Amino acid sequence: MTVAVDTPVDLAARAAEARRLVVDMAASPRGCHLGGSLSVLDVLIAALHRASLGDGTEVVLSKGHAAAGLYAALHVSGILPENPAPLYGQLGHPYTGHPGPKVPGVRFPTGSLGHGVPYAAGWAMARRLGGLPGLGIAVAGDGELQEGLVWETCQVAAAQRLGNFVLVVDRNGGQNDGMVADISPLPDLAARFAAFGFDTVEVDGHDLARLGEVFGADRTGAERPLAVIADTVKGKGVPAVEGKAGSHYVTIDAARAAKWKRLIR
Amino acid sequence: MTASTLSGRDAYRHELAHLAAEDPALLCLEADLGGKGHPFQAAHPERFFNLGIAEGAMVDMATGLASAGYKPFVSTFAPFAALRAAESLKLTLGYLNAGVTVVAPYAGVSGAWFGTTHHCLEDLAVLRSIPGVTIAAPYGEAETRAVVRAAAASGRPHYIRTGRNAVYDSLPFDGELPGPVTWDHRGEPGATVLVSVGEEGTRLALEARERRPELGHAHLVYLDHAHLSLAAEELATTTGRLVVVEEHRAEGGAAEALALLLPGREVVGVNAGHAWPTQGGDHHEVMAQLGLDLPAVLAATL
Repeated sequence: MTVAVDTPVDLAARAAEARRLVVDMAASPRGCHLGGSLSVLDVLIAALHRASLGDGTEVVLSKGHAAAGLYAALHVSGILPENPAPLYGQLGHPYTGHPGPKVPGVRFPTGSLGHGVPYAAGWAMARRLGGLPGLGIAVAGDGELQEGLVWETCQVAAAQRLGNFVLVVDRNGGQNDGMVADISPLPDLAARFAAFGFDTVEVDGHDLARLGEVFGADRTGAERPLAVIADTVKGKGVPAVEGKAGSHYVTIDAARAAKWKRLIR
Repeated sequence: MTASTLSGRDAYRHELAHLAAEDPALLCLEADLGGKGHPFQAAHPERFFNLGIAEGAMVDMATGLASAGYKPFVSTFAPFAALRAAESLKLTLGYLNAGVTVVAPYAGVSGAWFGTTHHCLEDLAVLRSIPGVTIAAPYGEAETRAVVRAAAASGRPHYIRTGRNAVYDSLPFDGELPGPVTWDHRGEPGATVLVSVGEEGTRLALEARERRPELGHAHLVYLDHAHLSLAAEELATTTGRLVVVEEHRAEGGAAEALALLLPGREVVGVNAGHAWPTQGGDHHEVMAQLGLDLPAVLAATL
């Protein structure tokens, strides 16, 4: 059984709109974590749409440095009413470079990597304890998997048989100082999760229809947590930076932002 | 006041199990150090979770549980709670103000011969620097039970520090919960006042008073800034020097805080100083290695 989702076309339009907002935030005086915000956007759009069904599903962006992507996704999903882009990083507004619970739609502070994973696992545990539906979805980065807290939580989640816990890995291949493969490679990632006792699935992290299927699957009664390894492109949607490690943190001027936004489809 | 039969950490386990019978939101989380025969596990197995040796995950998962309406109590040894999981405590107890209580036995050097990895002389400094956390170091079974009850009823973040297996009789206190200061003895006018913190600080203060009955003795159970500010107001009504006895380093402890809250007053600390105990011995012997013993307390009162 799957739950109903919008057509991929609808979600694709949301994602394109969100990408333009992220570019606007890169053109703010602060700049933003552009590459990882764009890589994770489709995952966030799909996950937030799943949560909008109202069964108590909670989405936690554990790779909190992609805050610009989260704010944009929340806005285009109708959860965050105001446009965060002109306010990003500004005094008097909650849209800091790493998200906190002052932002509508954000329950937990993340950005110190690793913590969002157990937050979501705890949420899933609470739903199960209460006999309630709904998933705890943590969205982590592949670089973030270098944090021990992630694996500590995987051990616990499997032992506690949290079948309603979903850990999504935004596998864009980059991290702050370079490529994950050069700094601390992650061979056999799916096998690692499987060895921890997870169900695993590897998907195109920009295929909204496929993501909708994965997040929409009924996990009632599941006893194994789910790891979703989402292959993504750092800087996705902006040809000038797609796949480039240098897109990790970007500050651009308004003219360049306007040019990049015109190219987003 | 009945004689105590339980250590602080056992009093916590029994009191929480008792409270959980009436409050279905209470959960008990352990990181493989809860021991066999845990009374909460026996009484409420569906709400008892040994999450294994995963302190950070335990505190963060408690955050998720609290966010969904539960009241998690998490427990592991103080060095692992306050130091290994310090960032989780900052975010959970501080920034999120989550209704999570951390109960930390093996505080100070109560781990004794288990060695330095199992000592924790820095937890008050860490927790006191996180705004909004209620910090308690109860003395004896009755006071520990009262502190646990208060934490469960509050729904606010607490850090409760206990020793290992030592059993002490709590000092009498009025009402359901000790106030900012429990006066054991107000002392002669102008006499030095011993200010005792935690299980061993209070034991030493009581022993010192047996030798020198003219001394005053004020016992503190709550050690966060808000409570210490109230305690300082009360201590300011005395005139003698204040000798603060605590099983903690000088930095970040109660003596340092009181000295800042009471400018112009002489505040002397008897504490664990700066050494790293590297030998075996029982709890009191390891404390003595650090210069934290009765002769040191008596010397400080002169």
